[in-house]
Formats: sequence, C-alpha cells, structure tokens
Amino acid sequence: MLWLNPFALFALALVAAPILIHILIRRRAEPFPFPTLRFLQPTRLAAIRRHVLEDIALLAVRIALLAATVAALAGPLFVTAARRQAWDRRIVRAVVVDDSNADLNVARPFEGRDRGAKSPAPQANSLAPHLQNTFEATSLTDGIRRAILWLDTAPPARRELVVASVFPIGSIAQADLSVIPDDIGVRFERTGTLPGTRTVAAGRLLTSGGVRAREVTLAGAQTSVRDAAVGDPMVWPIDVVSSKAEQPAIDAAVAAVLSQRVWAAPPDRRARLVLVEPTVVVQPAEPTVVVQAFMPAIVAHPSTPAVAQALPRDVAPEAGVSPGTGVAQAFRPAIIDGLSDVSPVRHAWIADAVARIAGDRELRDAAAGVAAGLSDARLAAAPWQILASAADGRPLAVAAESANRLVVASAARASDVTTPLLLRAIANAIAVVPDLQHAEVVSIADALLRQWSRPSTPPASPRIETVDHDDRRWLWLAALCLLGLEMRIRRARPVDASQEHHEETAHVA
Amino acid sequence: MKAGPPPECPPAILAQIADLELVARIIVEGLVSGLHRSPFHGYSAEFSQYRHYRPGDDLKHVDWKLVARTDRVYTKQFRETTNMASALVLDTSRSMNFPTAGLKSRAVSVGPLTKFRYAVIAAAALAHLISRQGDAIGLLAGERFLAPRAGRQHLRGLLAGLASLTASGGWSAADNVRRASERLKRRGLLFVLSDLYDEEERTLAELRRAARTGHEVVLLQILSREEIELPYRRDLEFTDLESGRSLAINASLARREYQDAVAAFLERWRSRAGAEGFQYSLIITDTPPNRALRNVLLARVTK
Repeated sequence: MLWLNPFALFALALVAAPILIHILIRRRAEPFPFPTLRFLQPTRLAAIRRHVLEDIALLAVRIALLAATVAALAGPLFVTAARRQAWDRRIVRAVVVDDSNADLNVARPFEGRDRGAKSPAPQANSLAPHLQNTFEATSLTDGIRRAILWLDTAPPARRELVVASVFPIGSIAQADLSVIPDDIGVRFERTGTLPGTRTVAAGRLLTSGGVRAREVTLAGAQTSVRDAAVGDPMVWPIDVVSSKAEQPAIDAAVAAVLSQRVWAAPPDRRARLVLVEPTVVVQPAEPTVVVQAFMPAIVAHPSTPAVAQALPRDVAPEAGVSPGTGVAQAFRPAIIDGLSDVSPVRHAWIADAVARIAGDRELRDAAAGVAAGLSDARLAAAPWQILASAADGRPLAVAAESANRLVVASAARASDVTTPLLLRAIANAIAVVPDLQHAEVVSIADALLRQWSRPSTPPASPRIETVDHDDRRWLWLAALCLLGLEMRIRRARPVDASQEHHEETAHVA
Repeated sequence: MKAGPPPECPPAILAQIADLELVARIIVEGLVSGLHRSPFHGYSAEFSQYRHYRPGDDLKHVDWKLVARTDRVYTKQFRETTNMASALVLDTSRSMNFPTAGLKSRAVSVGPLTKFRYAVIAAAALAHLISRQGDAIGLLAGERFLAPRAGRQHLRGLLAGLASLTASGGWSAADNVRRASERLKRRGLLFVLSDLYDEEERTLAELRRAARTGHEVVLLQILSREEIELPYRRDLEFTDLESGRSLAINASLARREYQDAVAAFLERWRSRAGAEGFQYSLIITDTPPNRALRNVLLARVTK
C-alpha cells in the first residue's frame, strides 16, 4: 500500500486525544432526590477510579473515526494485483513530431489513422486525452527531451515514446536515445520520404569582391556549393577603435579577413573591437581611476559616423597624444568609462558569439604568442569574459555586452597576426551560420530504426505524484459511517440514562 | 366460554388523565367485571332472589332444597342491608413524590407516575367501588379529613378532595391511623395507602390498636420499582426527600446491600401484617392499578 501524502500520517497522534478525554473525564455525582436514605450504605465514589477507561465502544469508534480520517488525508493507494493489471493494460504515449521538414507535406502520426478506415494500431485511437500527448519540435532531440519529461509525470501505465519524422540523417542519433529510461518503449514512425535532390540557400558571405550568396545542392551522397555575387552593399559589422597610427594595419587586417570570406551578419548584430595599448600609467592624485590608457584617436573602418557613435561622448578624435608623455592628463576617467560601460551578456546571440570566439583554436594559438596581455585588472573580471590569453597568462582579448552589441577589448597590436584572426572570429561568430540539416535528402535506414525500437515494460511501482486514482474515497466513506455510528452511540446514551433516571454530566477534569 | 381478563390501562396513561373520577370509573369498570362476589361484606344480608348457578359461585349459597325439588341448581342472592364504613388513610409525605418530576430524562418527559399519584388513583378507585356498593367512605390525608358517608355527592366531594392533594411536608402514619380509627364510629374498614417508611413500631402499634377496636386493616404499601431495585450505575448524591439529608455514593456499588435491606424491610412488613391479621399488599407503581386492586380484592374474597 502506498500513501500519497504520508506526512499526514503524523496526525495519527490525534488518536491520543479521545483516549485522554475518556481517561480524564470525570462524572460529577449529581444530586438525586430519593424517598429515603435508610437503606443506603456509604460507598466510595467511582470518580476516584476515573483512570479506568469508560465507554470502550464509544472510544473505539472515535479512535477508528480519527484513524480513518487521517488515513484518508494521507491518500492511501492499495496496489493490488488487479490494479497492477489495469496499469499494465493501459498505455500512455508521447508522440514527438518532427516539424523541420514541414515543407515535405508529410503525414501526421495517428491523425490519418483516426480518419481512415485502415487502423493498424487501434490502441492509438482509444487512448484518453490525458494518456497521450504530441510534441512538435524542429529538433527531435528537443522533442524527445520534452516527451520524457511529460512521460515522467504521466499516470501509471506502460509508457511509450513514438518518434514521427522523415528521419533525415543526423536528425536523431544513438546518443539522443540513450537519455530515454529503459522502461519506456520506443517506436519510430516514418511519416514520408525525402526528395532525391534539394537546393537550398546557405547564407551570404562577405568577400573582398563584395557580398556573395551561397547555394547548396544536396543530391544523394553528393553536395555541391555555388556562390553568386549579389548587389547588396557591403556592411562590415565590426567597428574598430584604435589609435590613428594603427589605421593601415587595421585596414590590412580587415582586407585579409575579407579575402578569406566570412559569413555576413544580420543587420541587428554589431560588434566593436577596441584595441588597447598595454601602457600603464599610475596617477598619484587619482590612483583608483586610471590604470590603463588606450588611444582615443579614431581609425574607422569603414570611417562612418557609426564609429564616432561608438566612442565615449567626451572623447574627441583629435584628443590623442603620443604615448608616454602626459598620458595621465590626456586620458580622463571618462575614457575608461567608455570601456566600463558594459554589462553582463544578456542576448543569446552575443553569448553564442563569445563561446564561438573563445573556441577558435587558431586565435588561441596566436594569442599565446603575444608577450603581454591586458594589464587592467578590471578587464579580467566580470562582466568581461576572456576570449584568449597572452603568453604572460593575462587575458589578451576579453568580451562583454554594451548597448545590444558585442564589445571586444584586445591588447594585441593591429599589426599583430592576432588582430585579423580576432576580426575573423568575431565576424563569423556574430553571423548566422546556415543549418543544412533540414535540407538533408538521405534518411536513416529502416534497419537502424528497428534496431533502436523497443517495447515498453510493465510499469513499476508508481510514484505517488503520478497516481491519478487513489483509495481515499473508501476511507472517507468509512469515516462517514463511523461518524454516524458515533452520533448514534452518543444519542443512545441519554436513553440509557433514562433508565437510570438521571442524565450524566461530564466534563474534563 | 371463559371470559378473558379485563383490559388494563397502563399507569403512564392513567397518570395523564386529570379527571380523577374518570380514572376511578375506568379502573372500577375493569375491576368488578372480573369479580363474582362482593369483596366487602356487610354484617347482615337479606335474601333478594334466585339465579342459576354459574361456575365460581360460592357453594354455600346454593339452595340445596330447591335442587332436590327441581333438579336445578340455584344460588341465593342477598342484598347487604348493613352499611360498611370505610376510611382511606393516604400518605401525603414528600417521600411519596417519587420518581421526582423534572428529572432530565426522555423517558419521563411526559411526567412520571409518582407513588403519590398512584396512591390517589388507587384511593379514588376504592372510593368509587365502595360508594357504588352504597357503603360509606371517608378520607384522611394529612390535614384533610372527610367523614365516612355514602352517596354520589359525597363521592364527588371525596374525589375532588383527592385531586387537590399534594405530597408535601411530613406525615406520620401512626398519628393518621389513630385519628382515622377514632373517627370511624363503628367497626369499619381502614385502608392505609403509604410507603410505610415512617416509624415502623409506632405505626404497627397504632394499626394493632385499630384492629383491636374492631376495624379491619388493609395495608397497601406503594413503592416504585426504582426504590426496590436501585438500578442506577453512576455516582449519585442521593437527597432524602423528607429530611433533605444527602449521601453521595456509587449506586452500582451500593445496589446489593440496598436491595437486601429493602427486601428485609418488605418482608418484615409482610410477616408482621400477616401475624396481626392485616391484609397486606405490596403495590409497585409500574403495575396497572386495576390489576393491583383486583389482586387486593381477590385476596379479600378468598380470605
């Protein structure tokens, strides 16, 4: 027997209440007019024996009433053989429908069977609504995860997971199925067939020759890629802030990146790269403000007002001075505020870009060759996130978010090879890399799907939170009957007293 | 065909009838129909008529000469010519007011039939019966005294007097017996209706004295079932209805000794009354009055 709310059983301590009441009850000797006392002999009063339980029947009924009430509150579940058989006969099913190939006009699982005369799986149609749920997902992995979560809360029954898809290669793998508990049966329903060939757009590229659109044609095991020039204006998504002297090097770095082709970013995804010189100047009068200087002179690529907007308000492009002289006077705290006006990453695409940049092995290798990293300790702490580290162990490039854009601060010089690698990594990271998985034309073999299929096992002992029917109604019924019996006994007591020609008065001592 | 016993009216119902004359008539109607001869003997009787013998008739009234002449059995009927004087001595002490009205009990929600009420009903029935025979009947109940007289008018006055009585204050059986025997001018019948809880020796002495003066004494000791059996179980503080003294005891524990004492008390009265030649009857209030009086009268007839 299971208890759905076992903590309620602590209330069984309440049965002590009627016992105590029956023990402590004291019946007062009631004045009773009588014709004569001549035949009465003094006796001890029964009140001194009050520790003896009286009205055993009433006490037993009251204890049983309390026990039944507490047990009903505790929610009993009698796991009988019949109930186990009923659970075993019942099926709870989660259907995961792959929506990634909606353009193929594939059949919906079970829907056709509901409408059609041919019904090879009648049990699929006879399930109650609360025993079946459909999860539509563009990723079968995600759909399976959601289906498992739902099955985990389903009532006790045989559990079955049906995956309905065209099953292109890569849509599901053994690793996706390994998360499914062993007692859940797995079945695969192929809902259509993939086309023999398919040509899909595969994003846009920024090249030194302008913007090019890429097209991918998948034909069986062969894949061909074709790029074509489009007339769209070139929009370089990264603003670079550096000293004016670094401009040629920056231009060269950007040209190098474009020659390698990078993915074009959507218009709402922008980044800013601030090249910081690792000059440390300590101002005795303001020791807490300026510990790192960067050159306020602007090199804009492209040299547009957008770059000027990226600058701190109170920093004029002409304010630059040569490093090493009067740095403390030239770079006011507001300059540092321009970099400090950052926040933790909130946008998913920025977080994704940070992760992808940090995962660029070429960038990491090149950064390791740079002698010194960022000397400002604030740039090594939150909200900044380290993208690559220099040879001295300090971060060379860090990233954060500022005004819905990605901000990267780097200690590498523009002429260093690290800078073009960083620019390439940023450009590819903020772009949307086309996913050609949905365009796949080769499907997973039926034999493999059969190998992955398995029947469901009989349900084990149910978890209390998943039980849909319990047996508390019987105990409530018993409690009601006992309540009626208790009232009947209590009402019968005055009748007994009438035979004694007095009514007892009781109170708790 | 043998006639069945007369219908009996439960005491609880009789207690609800306020009209005492009606109650008395109900009882007496059921009473005399079962009796074949008068329970009250006059001192002389004159021949009235013959009638056919019926089973149960006293054989001493069979006219054997007529049997010899006619081969038919006739019995002689006489008309009592001598009036009998009777007096009802009724106990009006508080102890007769039991079971007490107002007890919190469902069973007594219609009002209990107290010993006193039962005694009043019995006295009324006796008065009605005696008056119906043309005999004189009187009443002595506490301060109220009605000299024995015959006649319907007197009966009504007596019944009205009975109806107005209450059981309150003290009452001395010995004093009332003495007063009643003194008021009866000639030999008569003395009915004493009481629980006889008062001084036994003095009461017995007065009864003996009344008997010596020629009166016939009929003792009707009226008790309730509860005061014989003490059926209570709880702790009770018993309060004497007359003295007001109280005693808190457990009734269950006291029951056995109480019953023994009461049994000895009743046996003492029964044996002493028998020894003195009194007619003694113990009447328990749960007995229908006509049955109780019938037993009393049958005992007189077969005496």
